[in-house]
Amino acid sequence: MRDKQLDDSDLDLLVLRELSSMPSLAPSRGFRDRVMARVSLPKPAPLVRLQRAGAWALQPRRAAALATAYAACVLATILLAGPWVAAHAGVLAVAGSWVVAHVGAWVNAGLMAVATWGVRSGVVQALREAFGTGLRLWATLATAALLYTGSGYGLHVLLKAPRRSHELGRAL
Amino acid sequence: MPTAKDLQALGDQEVVELAKAGRETAYRELLRRYERPVFSLIFRMVRDRALAEDLAQETFLKVLNALGSYRPEYKFSSWIFKIANNAAIDQLRRRELDTLSLDGSPDARTADEVEATALQATDRAETPLEELESRETGAAIEQAIGRLRPEYRTCILLRHVEGRTYEEIAEVMDLPLGTVKTYIHRARLELREYLADLKT
Repeated sequence: MRDKQLDDSDLDLLVLRELSSMPSLAPSRGFRDRVMARVSLPKPAPLVRLQRAGAWALQPRRAAALATAYAACVLATILLAGPWVAAHAGVLAVAGSWVVAHVGAWVNAGLMAVATWGVRSGVVQALREAFGTGLRLWATLATAALLYTGSGYGLHVLLKAPRRSHELGRAL
Repeated sequence: MPTAKDLQALGDQEVVELAKAGRETAYRELLRRYERPVFSLIFRMVRDRALAEDLAQETFLKVLNALGSYRPEYKFSSWIFKIANNAAIDQLRRRELDTLSLDGSPDARTADEVEATALQATDRAETPLEELESRETGAAIEQAIGRLRPEYRTCILLRHVEGRTYEEIAEVMDLPLGTVKTYIHRARLELREYLADLKT
């Protein structure tokens, strides 16, 4: 086939050239999907730990032991705290009423501030005009609830889609 | 969260770390990077497309399902080529395969199977005569590689087709560096001998 003679060095160069230009071969279409369908993806580490802990705790004997230990802790706390509370009832009552009075005053001030802002800025008036009657308010709430439920269902369907494509890949 | 395009800019080790964290896109990126090199190596070892696909799939499943045990001090490419090479060598040991047939796999029975399993030589020529010569040379080199010992074949394919370093080939094949160099030298000598008929 060749007109000219090739000496050893030419032949070596030819071998190297042909080797370096050999085509990269590809597997058939869908190879990646077929592999991915059989790969088990690792679950996130916190989920694995939670599942392990759940499986460990839900065995009947362990569950009974954990419930007993929990009840014992609660009982011990009550038994230890009871006499102390009884001995310091007066101080605790004063401290308690002080905390309740102060927290109540902060909550009251906060609510008043929000209400004042609502009236002065016209938000309350705008809401009253928008809903007018109780019927309109209920219709708005029902629409919002429907939209929320629809969005939840939509997300559920979207999140299920990849699993279905894996099953399809496996079937192929 | 990195996208498929972001992943292309990352090194193998970083992609492996993301895959270990459960990112499916990272698994797909590793597949995208290595499906051709791994399949090419196995195909040129076993000379049968269907079998090569099965072995490549087996290789990827072993690698991707065992990413947790991957030790980052080794190159990922060395690890995957090692598993691919072992799969091909095991297959060759189990079955005496014919040397390369450019007309397709020896197992091919129908015309479609023959076409599907045939190797395609590179088309780099500009004129019909050059194209014919190129096809013939490409075919001859493929045939010549098919006649090499499996160890020589792996070495020469990894070195001159996949462009791997001698050190990486030594790691892949669990051989001393000197042995790898000797194998590649001998393989090139044998290829020259096989192609000597081109001199005439």
